[in-house]
Amino acid sequence: MKNSLSWLGFAALGAVGPLAAHFIPAGMTLSLLAQATFAAIFALGIGFLIRQNGTISFGHAAFFGLPGYAVAALLPLKLMPLEVLFAAALVGTVALAFAIGLVVVRVHGIAFGMLTLAIGQGLYEAATRWRAVTGGHDGMTLRLPREVFGLPVKLLQQPHGMFVAAWIVMTLCLVAVWLFARSPWGRLTEAIRDNEERVRFLGYRTLLPRAAVFAASALLVAIAGMLSVLYNAFISPDAIHWTASGSGLIMAILGGSAVAWGPLLGGFVYFFLKHAAGAYTTHWLSIIGVALILVAVAFPNGLAGLMIRQRSRP
Amino acid sequence: MIALAATGITKTYGGFTALSDVSLSVEHGEIRALIGPNGAGKSTLIDALSGRNPCLGRVELMGADISRLTPGKRRRLGLSRSFQKTSIFPRMTVRAQIELAARAVDGSDGMDVLDEFDLRPLADRLAGDIGYGDQRRLDLALAMTGQPHTLLLDEPAAGLSFEESKRLAAHLRDIAARRGVTVVIVEHDMDVVFAIADTITVLQLGQVLAEGRPDDIRANPDVVRAYLGSAA
Amino acid sequence: MLIQCLNGLVYGALLFSLASGLALMFGLRRIVNFSHGALYMLGAYLGYSIATKLGFWPALVLSALALAGLGALLDAAVFRPLQDRDPLIILLVTFGLALIAEDVVQTIWGNDTHSLAMPALLAGIVELPGSSFPVYRIAIIAFGLLVAGGLSLWLKFSRVGLFVRAASFNPTLAAIQGVDTDRVSLMVVAVGAALAGASGVVAAPILSLAPSMAADILVDSFIVVVVGGLGSLTGAFITALILGQINVLGIVFAPEFTALLPFVIMVGVLIWKPTGLAGNRV
Repeated sequence: MKNSLSWLGFAALGAVGPLAAHFIPAGMTLSLLAQATFAAIFALGIGFLIRQNGTISFGHAAFFGLPGYAVAALLPLKLMPLEVLFAAALVGTVALAFAIGLVVVRVHGIAFGMLTLAIGQGLYEAATRWRAVTGGHDGMTLRLPREVFGLPVKLLQQPHGMFVAAWIVMTLCLVAVWLFARSPWGRLTEAIRDNEERVRFLGYRTLLPRAAVFAASALLVAIAGMLSVLYNAFISPDAIHWTASGSGLIMAILGGSAVAWGPLLGGFVYFFLKHAAGAYTTHWLSIIGVALILVAVAFPNGLAGLMIRQRSRP
Repeated sequence: MIALAATGITKTYGGFTALSDVSLSVEHGEIRALIGPNGAGKSTLIDALSGRNPCLGRVELMGADISRLTPGKRRRLGLSRSFQKTSIFPRMTVRAQIELAARAVDGSDGMDVLDEFDLRPLADRLAGDIGYGDQRRLDLALAMTGQPHTLLLDEPAAGLSFEESKRLAAHLRDIAARRGVTVVIVEHDMDVVFAIADTITVLQLGQVLAEGRPDDIRANPDVVRAYLGSAA
Repeated sequence: MLIQCLNGLVYGALLFSLASGLALMFGLRRIVNFSHGALYMLGAYLGYSIATKLGFWPALVLSALALAGLGALLDAAVFRPLQDRDPLIILLVTFGLALIAEDVVQTIWGNDTHSLAMPALLAGIVELPGSSFPVYRIAIIAFGLLVAGGLSLWLKFSRVGLFVRAASFNPTLAAIQGVDTDRVSLMVVAVGAALAGASGVVAAPILSLAPSMAADILVDSFIVVVVGGLGSLTGAFITALILGQINVLGIVFAPEFTALLPFVIMVGVLIWKPTGLAGNRV
């Protein structure tokens, strides 16, 4: 019963975006909505890591930017069709994340945050300095072919087309995260999160599942990065900078990572809060900082936590 | 037949020697109690047998050397343990964690263990929400899932009521006698120890002080002086 | 070559005087201060403003004092009230504070880069075999050594130091020894913040001031603290010196990949020894 309700919810969510897009005049708002959807998928990946592994990453923006850089650098060489190149960039990013995961998931809590921050900044530095390949601080512009995945690229570079595509991808990602959490793998990783030693004594290996969760969260983030690069046809080191990782983290925590859809909500709220604040004041950094402190101290379960508490009140 | 044998177990922390050349040999289906004052090395020995910490020496399970195996591999070979501090998954339901434990060892759903430990009425509650005595039983049930043939228990009666301790003792007696499960138990509750142990090993300062049948241990003047005192 | 090694020492000394505060705070409270880079930046900017009126030396002293006050406030208003909560909350709160500090600096001093003139006393140049080296940079190395020496004396011989060393072994054990934990923590955080501020002023004449300076050095000092062994001063000292050398030598030999080298080393150390070079020792 509850199951079919959830599926109904996913179907409704998937339909809301394309429907809404019809009523919003193309332009700024739709473009913002498309970008907010990228941010939401990004936050979904970071929230997934918090929920399944219990660890906070300060370097996930690297996995957002990396596939974009890979596509931008390899595209002019005309080695393979764009679709294959996209898939290869995703696979490569996930493989790298898995390898990194095998190392970093050995440390816990605070040290994990510092490690991921350092790895992310290392890649950022590399992207700014390795000018011959990355274009340094200026970034790279992509010359995309006319069609991708059977769709005209032009369609995907218009706010309306991209918003609808990104929204559907986002819904699919949410379904994947939800299914994972209910699978034996989801149970196992949550058990490891709460009591790793006991899980080892029950007969499980704990390193591989944790590394796999790290890689899966990187995949979600990489998908967001791919959509972004497809839409903007541009990638620059700003996308990898640690403040980008920090923003993703704030979105996930603001929304609340205890439920799968929390980070999505956080992503949209954060994105529009930032833009609304940006229109009135230049102090959005402070606003975000204060919001983060408030949520961390007073509402550790985020907006989703608040909403669930409201609803379950008698 | 020897189920569990340890030879020359030595463990040092920095300059402190927690266990010094301890050997132990436990028969199949035997209940072996480890007793001794705090800091004697009882828990350290359980940790060494279960593979929690690296140590010197050799551990054999059913004749096979398991000294270098991970805790998980030992568990899959049938050597299971419980923990002194209740070690469960508070945010999972009772049923879900028993299933998790069962899946690691065999393909079963572990529901027989739920019944064996009277946990079925609590199956769908979160483990963090049930009472302390129930949590202790769940801890034991996690260790017993998948029918391990050798069980290491670290103070399973700690914090239990008199009634609960009595039930625990009867249960352990039963699984050893009926199913031939080998049990090594660390316990401070002497009523439980003398009620169930076939053999008692007394540890003091990381060494074996005495070993023998409960009556002999009770009468051993060294043991009485070092640990049991006049109470026993 | 000699010059490069010396430049490496300069950066290592700066890194250590910043990372030592992080290491001490971690040893005592098991927390990571994400706003440590912001303290360093605030120290540098305050120093810049004071120096334009009063000169370098008053700027160094006043800025360090101001930061000590800010550190005490940080401990009393953030670390102490949150000490029983999940340490990740402090991580997020200090991250929020770092964002606010960046906005404050941008608002007061703008986005342009500034630079601070070095004191006349140290403006000279030393002749070395084959080349010359600015006196001021040698003074920075001396500053780093002074911080290292002062901190180790403080830890070894003062009551507070004894407590800090005990706490880094076992925080709960130390708390029951009848020491006023709150006072000790206030002092340690204030000293750490003052060192961060002083490092900012000292670095200002050779590195230019910009709102991004906080993040850049924070990452390097995290590497120092993690690789050195969380909470260990000796480990931080050695790692800072090594990192300083790598930074400079890498720029000479392979500029594209230098930036990655510290991270590779960090990953290597953590595979080999997950607790860092010095384990849990102070």
